[in-house]
Amino acid sequence: MGLWDRIKSTRLYKSIYRNDYPDTPRNQVLVILNSMVLHLHPVKIPKKQVRYTFTFGLGGTSLLMFLILTLTGVWLMFYYVPSIPGAWFSMKALQTDVYFGQFARNLHRWAAHGMVIAVLLHMTRVFYTGSYKPPREFNWAMGVVLLLLTFLLSFTGYLLPWDQLAYWAITVGSNMAKATPFIGAQVQLMLLGGYEIGQATLIRWYTLHVIFLPLAAMLLMGMHFWRVRKDGGISTPIPYDEDEAEFPPQPEAAAD
Amino acid sequence: MAEEEVKSTRPQGVAPAPNPKANGPQPGSPSLSAPANKPEVGPKPKGKAADDKEMVFVWPHLVSIEAIASLFFIFSLSLMSLLVNAPLRNLANPELTPNPSKAPWYFLGLQELLLHMHPALAGVIVPTAVLILLAAIPYIDSDRRGSGYWFSTRNGVRITVFAALYTMVWELALIILDEFIVPVEKATTLILESGEKLSVSPGVHWMNPHGLSHGIKPLFLHLFGRAPLTVAIGEIFIPSLLMVLIPYLLWHLIKRRYQANTRELMISMYSFFIASFVLLTIIGTAFRGHSMALMWPWHITPPIGI
Ligand code: HEM
Repeated sequence: MGLWDRIKSTRLYKSIYRNDYPDTPRNQVLVILNSMVLHLHPVKIPKKQVRYTFTFGLGGTSLLMFLILTLTGVWLMFYYVPSIPGAWFSMKALQTDVYFGQFARNLHRWAAHGMVIAVLLHMTRVFYTGSYKPPREFNWAMGVVLLLLTFLLSFTGYLLPWDQLAYWAITVGSNMAKATPFIGAQVQLMLLGGYEIGQATLIRWYTLHVIFLPLAAMLLMGMHFWRVRKDGGISTPIPYDEDEAEFPPQPEAAAD
Repeated sequence: MAEEEVKSTRPQGVAPAPNPKANGPQPGSPSLSAPANKPEVGPKPKGKAADDKEMVFVWPHLVSIEAIASLFFIFSLSLMSLLVNAPLRNLANPELTPNPSKAPWYFLGLQELLLHMHPALAGVIVPTAVLILLAAIPYIDSDRRGSGYWFSTRNGVRITVFAALYTMVWELALIILDEFIVPVEKATTLILESGEKLSVSPGVHWMNPHGLSHGIKPLFLHLFGRAPLTVAIGEIFIPSLLMVLIPYLLWHLIKRRYQANTRELMISMYSFFIASFVLLTIIGTAFRGHSMALMWPWHITPPIGI
């Protein structure tokens, strides 16, 4: 008996994995059903919808970005101090005094841009493949809220380093909000927690950024994924007529 | 099992017989055990319907793609993070306004609009309207057909390209008009950066603004006088009219030119939206320098005061 087989026959291994390696149809079913992460998927899906060029994996990439942001974000929270001007000094210290501090901060920043791009592209792919059509209308509408949450997550995070870039970008943004018809002053007061950008603003945006918006996004993502399943998995072709199915040429010849 | 659950809960109710959407063998379908690529009758290769039904295991077919894509993105982001540092500029200073002050890139489209219209429009009304209209798309186009494959119809790609070009031509033209029309009330002498003097006579000029007020609204005020009503027309009415007129004309053009159905009209509207977003974002990011003046990217110098 090889080492791998011996490991697999230990009680520890068996207590973790309830099925054998998924290389038989039975185990390929079980692995999906037994795993919390994998069970978001169905056991089988239409061959065409697996093609990378149908979804470009963009929804999944948005989720991946969100996960990276969550991990690196928690890590940043260990060092970040939401005070004025302490925030800026804590960022400086993070970059110079902490192992991988700069790296983790970079990762958080680039993944944030990545998520905005991925979500926009995902929406665009869902649109051009007509995947918003019934029965997926409401999932599309929830998607629009997710888009808004993504923007807000990114924008609230932008203020936190408390440098010139952050401060003035937020000034531009909150001046736009001030222009809201009729209730502009109130909207701005609510956003800033005062009449100008200061400590109250920072704490507000920090709380939104690290707790409220991520929780809202997680909840909505959970509902979004659930709905994808309940709407029958990702969309499959419903052509207008047989001819239409020919266009755009479905390159199945290349697939098989 | 999961298979069953998916099938029984999908609110399908779509067309009966050659339902290509069928997510695997349908209950009651006689071909439950038929091979997927069984040839079928009919002039068209109806085998498609069967192909569409062909099912594969998520493990390994999808899980492997997910794993590879995740590794790819984690690797690329890590590499980028090793090479490019996230910016951390000087400590915030409320006394020192950088020139220009820009929002993050994804809001630069809106900031670009801000240069051309009343801030309530650019900052609040337009983005709110866009989100509402986006969410409304499936309630306007509620035909199930045309989903599940790229561009839906024979004309889908053509309409996308046409709408995108149409949008960009309009918006570029308007941006250029708004920059270079310079109405001058009384004779002025400008001292250019080069030290040269330039005298400008009263009237409407086509020139670099050099700090003079420029654009459609000043032109309007120049022609019709500066009263609260003309100001409102210049910064609220004209821009709103254009923002409605441009997509409205597009809608009718597409309808006429392509005998478009609702899906195709939606394609033209979404293309209008995404082309506007892309164009305005690029202009706001790469073509706006000091004082948000329009300039070539290679003339843009880093902001002052950052
Ligand atoms: C945080 C943002 C988002 C995440 C993490 C996310 C994730 C996902 C995932 C993983 C899928 C499965 C198929 C795929 O990967 O394409 C999906 C499908 C879908 N998403 Fe999103 N999404 C997000 C935002 C959006 C937005 C902004 C929209 C549209 C406005 C949207 C609308 C949809 C729809 C309608 C489907 C079903 C597509 C189909 O049936 O082919 N989602 N989403």
